[in-house]
Amino acid sequence: MDVFLQVVVNGLLLGGLFAITSVGLTLIFGIVKVVNFAHGEFLMIGMYATYLITAQFGMHPYVALGAVVPILFVLGMLTQKLLIEPLMGARNHDIQIFATVGLSTALINLALLIFGANIYNTPDYSLRTSIEIGPVRMLVGQVVLFAVATALVIGLHLFLQRTQAGRGIRAVAQNRAAAQLMGINVSRVCMVTFGLGAACVGVAACLIAPLYPTSPGIGTYFVLISFVVVVLGGLGSIGGAFLGAMIIGLIDSLSGFYIGSDLREVAVFSVFLLILILRPQGLFGGRLNLSHES
Amino acid sequence: MKLSNILKTTVAAGALLGAQAAYAEVTFGALYPFSGQLALLGEESARGLELAVDEVNAAGGVQGEQVVLERGDAVDNNQAIGEARRLISREGVKAIFGTYSSSRSIAASQVAELSRIPYFELGAVADEVTGRGLEYLFRVNPTAEDMADTIINMIVEKVAPMNGVEPGDLKIGIIHEDSSYGSSVSGHQERFAEEAGLNVVAKLAYPASTVDMSSLVLDLKQREVDVVLQTSYQNDSVLFLQQANEARFEPLAIIGGGGGYSMQPTADAVGHDIIDGVLNTDFTQYVVNKEFTPGIDDFLAAYQEKYGSAPLSGHSLTNYVGAMAILTALNEASDFEPATIIETVGAIDIPEGTTAAGYGIKFGENNQNERARMMGLQWQDGKLVTVYPDDAAAAEMRTRN
Repeated sequence: MDVFLQVVVNGLLLGGLFAITSVGLTLIFGIVKVVNFAHGEFLMIGMYATYLITAQFGMHPYVALGAVVPILFVLGMLTQKLLIEPLMGARNHDIQIFATVGLSTALINLALLIFGANIYNTPDYSLRTSIEIGPVRMLVGQVVLFAVATALVIGLHLFLQRTQAGRGIRAVAQNRAAAQLMGINVSRVCMVTFGLGAACVGVAACLIAPLYPTSPGIGTYFVLISFVVVVLGGLGSIGGAFLGAMIIGLIDSLSGFYIGSDLREVAVFSVFLLILILRPQGLFGGRLNLSHES
Repeated sequence: MKLSNILKTTVAAGALLGAQAAYAEVTFGALYPFSGQLALLGEESARGLELAVDEVNAAGGVQGEQVVLERGDAVDNNQAIGEARRLISREGVKAIFGTYSSSRSIAASQVAELSRIPYFELGAVADEVTGRGLEYLFRVNPTAEDMADTIINMIVEKVAPMNGVEPGDLKIGIIHEDSSYGSSVSGHQERFAEEAGLNVVAKLAYPASTVDMSSLVLDLKQREVDVVLQTSYQNDSVLFLQQANEARFEPLAIIGGGGGYSMQPTADAVGHDIIDGVLNTDFTQYVVNKEFTPGIDDFLAAYQEKYGSAPLSGHSLTNYVGAMAILTALNEASDFEPATIIETVGAIDIPEGTTAAGYGIKFGENNQNERARMMGLQWQDGKLVTVYPDDAAAAEMRTRN
């Protein structure tokens, strides 16, 4: 029983990790309607930034949030403005996908050029200390990460539901043409949303950096599972991404222990396919809306 | 200009050309990944070859000719093939040295074989490199199979007695990343373990890009595994060692199979106190009994002088030893015809304990160096120290904790 509890807690903490890397993606994927394959590389940039700030100035990685989040916000806005928007007029929207794939490859190789293939370790400031609650053991950093992921999801949800800017973003997501007719500056909303999505990745980077060594390829470790989480939760649904992340985390952990580590991905993707067959729009997704195509 | 002057100039030019021909040069290819993901250790490997060439040239070259290396950048498999073609047909190399990466080696050596150009593999470990019946390919360095062999022997001869247990009573858990590197080493581990009468209780694969190994650690802990064998890259080595420590999983021994376990940043990431006592196997490294590896100090000095730093890993030494043996042998040959080269190299016979890497060189079946072997290493006080076999050991093997 103790072991079962530990496996479940591990799964939920892993879910927190997946959630925090996915919320940014669901904003970009669901609202700007861009499949951003460079998402993982934004995370990598954030982690290198966190490493540099902590190692150079001796700052706590959580303090680095104050710098890393704005950097990523600007980076996201620039990506939308300089790379995605000029391609919006292209006849085929797949071109944006290739552009983000290109961006991803360029960023990985840029990191290889600057930092080399070696790993860099952000000082952990005892965030790797384990705490015991009853029979269950977990790391301080993981618990913080889980709490922040939850807070971020609630905060973003409230922002989208309750504020004028949030309503504008949702309007663009629902029907781009109608939103434009109602006087919403779609181009600016897309830019801000892309920036927000990237800023969420910045938050993730600061929390993940003390727990995982940073390397040029680190983004690729997270990006596939993030897409799975986002599609499972329903495009653009913040709550859905959170629930999707928890489901994937739990299945990963439970199957890894009870079935075998080599079959983890089989289990995760089987459940993923099953849910999609039953609910093609994802757990919390609305009806399929192709209005942006018009 | 008068005609006689023109004639004089022509004669002088001819004399100059003739003088240059006296300093004859022979060109060999150096095919390594010099850019891209594998550039770090590709470059490190190539440095070993360059140092060997420098040493040979300083002593008068090979058959009186100065050796020139023409670099080829094997950034991926396709480019490895393209660069091998370029080296052979455009640069006219007499042989190719390489390659560090097994997949690049397998691809490029096919090209060399078709062109009947000798290909000397100095650092790739996969079985398939020599397992294909190629006539012109020779491999000097130890392989994935040698790695597993050393690991199992180390358990039987050292780990079990040190902990006061019969080898057969130890519960062995094999974990490995699921690409060809992890799969092949772990396959050999399982086979050798069975032959040695060891009790393998688990063999678990995982993708190298995993971000969580806690369930795998719990699994091993539940099975009360005494000895963990991990074959892994850097991220998964760090992840396993950290998560094992955090879950208070304390096996008698953890033994890595090169890769992430051989790299200083891994130890720095995990923490020197946590990695202390962890065992590993790899090419010969620098904290070793120097009587077993004569010439290693000269190599280190030459490396320091040429590159201004200490070697990054044992890859340069392994490449250096292989290249030295081949170039020295070719010096005794009559010409650089492919048939002469492979006959000369095939006859190399260097006993153990006389090279800077310790192991001897004699090519056996499939042109694999059958005297090549991996060394057993241990992280002691933040350094990777040779502890096995006894004649190469620089320090006693310690128990964990």
